[in-house]
Amino acid sequence: MRRTVGVTAASAAMVVLVAGCGGGGPQSGGDGKLTGGSIVLGVLNDQSGAYSELSGRNSVKAVEMAIADFKAKYGDKAIAEDITVETADHQNKPDVASSKAQEMYDRKSVDIILDVPTSSAALKVADVAKEKKKLYFNIGAATTDLTGKSCNKYTFHYAYDTYMLANGTGKTTTEQVGKNWYILYPNYAFGQDMEKSFSTAITAAGGKVVGSDGAPFPNTSGDFSTFLLKAPTLNPKPDVLGTMQAGAELVNVVKQYNEFKLREKGVGLAVGLMFITDIHSLTPAALAGTTYTDAWYWNFDQQNRAFADRFQSETGTRPSFAHAANYSAATQYLEAVQAAGTDDADTVVKGLEGKEVDDVFLRNGKIRAEDHRVIHDAYLAQVKPQSEVAEPWDYVKVLKTIPAAEAFRAPSPDCKL
Amino acid sequence: MLRIENLSAWYGEAQVLREVSLDVAAGEVVTLVGRNGAGKSTLLRCVMGLHAGQRGTVELDGRNVGKLPAHRRARLGLGWVPDDRGSYATLSVTENLTLPPAVGPDPWPLARVYEAFPALYDRRDSAATMLSGGEQQMLALARVLRMGARLLLCDEPTEGLSPLLVQQVGELLREAKRHGVTVLLVEQNLHFATGVADRHYLLAEGRVAEAMDNSEVRSRERELLSYLGI
Amino acid sequence: MTGFLQNTFNGLVSGAFYALLALGLAVIFGMLRVVNFAHGAFYMLGAFGAYVLLTEAGVPFWAALVIMPVGLALLGMALERAFVHRLTRLDPLYNFLLTFGLTLILQDLVKLRYGVQSSPYETPSALNGSVDFGLFDFPTYRVFILGFAVAVCVGVWWVLTRTRVGMVVRACTERPELTRAFGIDVGRWVTPVFGFGIGLAGLAGVLAAPMRAVNPLMGADLIIVVFAVVVIGGLGSIFGSVAAGFGIGLVQAWGEAYLSDFPIISQTIVFIVMAVVLLWRPAGLFGREEAPA
Ligand SMILES: Nc1ncnc2c1ncn2[C@@H]1O[C@H](COP(=O)(O)OP(=O)(O)O)[C@@H](O)[C@H]1O
Ligand SMILES: [Mg+2]
Repeated sequence: MRRTVGVTAASAAMVVLVAGCGGGGPQSGGDGKLTGGSIVLGVLNDQSGAYSELSGRNSVKAVEMAIADFKAKYGDKAIAEDITVETADHQNKPDVASSKAQEMYDRKSVDIILDVPTSSAALKVADVAKEKKKLYFNIGAATTDLTGKSCNKYTFHYAYDTYMLANGTGKTTTEQVGKNWYILYPNYAFGQDMEKSFSTAITAAGGKVVGSDGAPFPNTSGDFSTFLLKAPTLNPKPDVLGTMQAGAELVNVVKQYNEFKLREKGVGLAVGLMFITDIHSLTPAALAGTTYTDAWYWNFDQQNRAFADRFQSETGTRPSFAHAANYSAATQYLEAVQAAGTDDADTVVKGLEGKEVDDVFLRNGKIRAEDHRVIHDAYLAQVKPQSEVAEPWDYVKVLKTIPAAEAFRAPSPDCKL
Repeated sequence: MLRIENLSAWYGEAQVLREVSLDVAAGEVVTLVGRNGAGKSTLLRCVMGLHAGQRGTVELDGRNVGKLPAHRRARLGLGWVPDDRGSYATLSVTENLTLPPAVGPDPWPLARVYEAFPALYDRRDSAATMLSGGEQQMLALARVLRMGARLLLCDEPTEGLSPLLVQQVGELLREAKRHGVTVLLVEQNLHFATGVADRHYLLAEGRVAEAMDNSEVRSRERELLSYLGI
Repeated sequence: MTGFLQNTFNGLVSGAFYALLALGLAVIFGMLRVVNFAHGAFYMLGAFGAYVLLTEAGVPFWAALVIMPVGLALLGMALERAFVHRLTRLDPLYNFLLTFGLTLILQDLVKLRYGVQSSPYETPSALNGSVDFGLFDFPTYRVFILGFAVAVCVGVWWVLTRTRVGMVVRACTERPELTRAFGIDVGRWVTPVFGFGIGLAGLAGVLAAPMRAVNPLMGADLIIVVFAVVVIGGLGSIFGSVAAGFGIGLVQAWGEAYLSDFPIISQTIVFIVMAVVLLWRPAGLFGREEAPA
């Protein structure tokens, strides 16, 4: 292992040296159309922690698939022969994310950074992109600040955000399941943001939040029973428990929701943010009937399924929406460079702004010029009962497609590019 | 029974015993006198096998026990009465007495211990550290008697005891001696020492300064007491 | 009133996990003077083992409840012999680092094979219902956990206080050197006691599998609170660790229920309690100041 690292470091040093001697550093490639003669995509995400399965190394795989498809499509007409991927683990830590992003842009000649889950880390990377004037497509993070007060010319928000989740789940559930909500959220930035977004969406749809509680985060005891016991005793009794917990905490909430038999007591379950991997952890039986908003589902239609099959043969698993979005983002970036004939960031941004796109991930997609929100159809999904699960990972049926224009918020006045 | 030859001991860099040699014959009661800090307790700990920084020879019944760990030495018949009395707070009086296994041919049954120490019997279920200092001293002695130890290493067993109790300790040691038990006794109370012991070693600055018999100690009592600073 | 009783009950259930884990840490610390940082990892292995046994070999919960603690106790004994033992003569920091490293290795090995995502584990069907307590009903599984953990704690307490084995362990724990001087081979007791403590962690892990997310990091957060529990109870104090375990479970549950308007307090209540206890009694509630050597 150490040896490999050493060799890699040595060859990286060589590359830098060669590039340095090759006359014309990255900034001065005036005659060439590409900085350094190549395109480098950087995937910066969680490769060891809580999000490493729903993004992680398989996001890198997705980006590699996009590069292969791009090369296959354009052959020798492709703008670059040399398209590579750089990758780094940000460990969900904002400071690590920031320094890795700087390193990618400055020393690894990365033209665009992709993915970056965890909102606090995502916002730091947006600052770096702005400072370095290099592209950044965020996929993994949820905060609307990326297209709000922290937006900038080089940052695009690709897959989803808290508004989309709240609007889809909050509105539809209020209309279809019940008006009275009890919201349980992890008491930190993401959870508070989700709680606010959900409350707004619920109220707008004519519902009412009869109670909301911030649970300790991280919840070291792993126990949520205080809140789960409280829910059915509120007046009026809530029809829906909305949980904003994510990952392992979500698993704990749902396990305990079932333990206390809240569904039998007339309190349904809605989940703020859920990935297919969470359903796998809990088993569909534990979640049957639960609704949530999904940015993409692998078994939605034939096109998705074909991608999912390819992805599975590469990785051994079905793609999460984040994987599909990474594939799409890398593809759209390469297409934009191809169209512009250069990887110069300002030119590429100009080409992307306002562009309408349809691909395996983006349906009715549009890259909004006003705030760089990438809008697309979203889906209200419901977990199937175990009896309807026909094959592994086929856990969800899509109840409703939420059209792109409704799925996301209008451009925020806070955003000035 | 016990032979010590050229025993040196250190605490880190500080040497506290310097080539000490002494011996104790079977059935003898021998005291070790010396100022505070002379190294008496350290010497007992070396015999017990509890002191890591040591060099020299310790022989029991002609057998070199230098390599044996403490618990193996105890099983050869050593009974330690430590200077802090060695009471366990988490053990009752009875448990303090019954913790060590019998190590000699003639262990006292518990009933006999309680007959000899009625005060301990009255507090048999209390934590040992709840006893008075004198009672704890008695407990420590009672424990090694119950073990049936053949060689007692007693570290100032009379310290802080009332005259009545000192007398009782003296009787116990004499009775033990009558039963053939050997005793190495660290003692500051010269009067008591000459009452129970056969011979005495004076330890000064980590060396055996003198070996004396009872008459010599009695005749030089004043000089010795002032030397010991009492 | 009903709400209060329910919260109390839940606090005791959380406390049951703390108590089992803290008890294991306390016996290990008492005997070896080692703060076993890997305790949370063994808890995780207990839960994961139950999951693997079920999915790979169809071994049900009840069998796992025996197999995992015993298996992990044996693993613990092997690790004690192979590593921990060699470092006990050195500064305690060495063993702390060793067990910390062990934690990372165990977590990563599990992560490598099963990923970070939680693995599913269902409540055994016999315990799937609710028990009616008149005023309120309560999940059977929680009642079972509470009863089981209390029984284990009482059993351990009985062995420690009423048997010769327990007496020797107490003596070794309190004054190892003196105990050696009384003819007892303290070293021989160290390995089984270490294994026993690890076994308790594994037991807690199996019990947790049906109600907590089973993933490689499940022990990592929990163990921090358990360390606080051990400190509050008094390092090495058996009774203290159990009492503080249940106590902290209660305090956390009540804090969440009645201080939810003050999230800062309810989130940090364990550490607030710890700070207060340490200011008042530096050796913990039931701890003794170390006897001077
Ligand atoms: N644990 C220890 N660490 C360092 N020095 C010690 C320790 N115990 C005793 N000493 C020193 O060793 C010397 C001998 O101590 P000790 O054997 O207890 O003497 P005595 O029993 O004759 O009073 C003293 O100078 C004492 O200060
Ligand atoms: Mg002394």
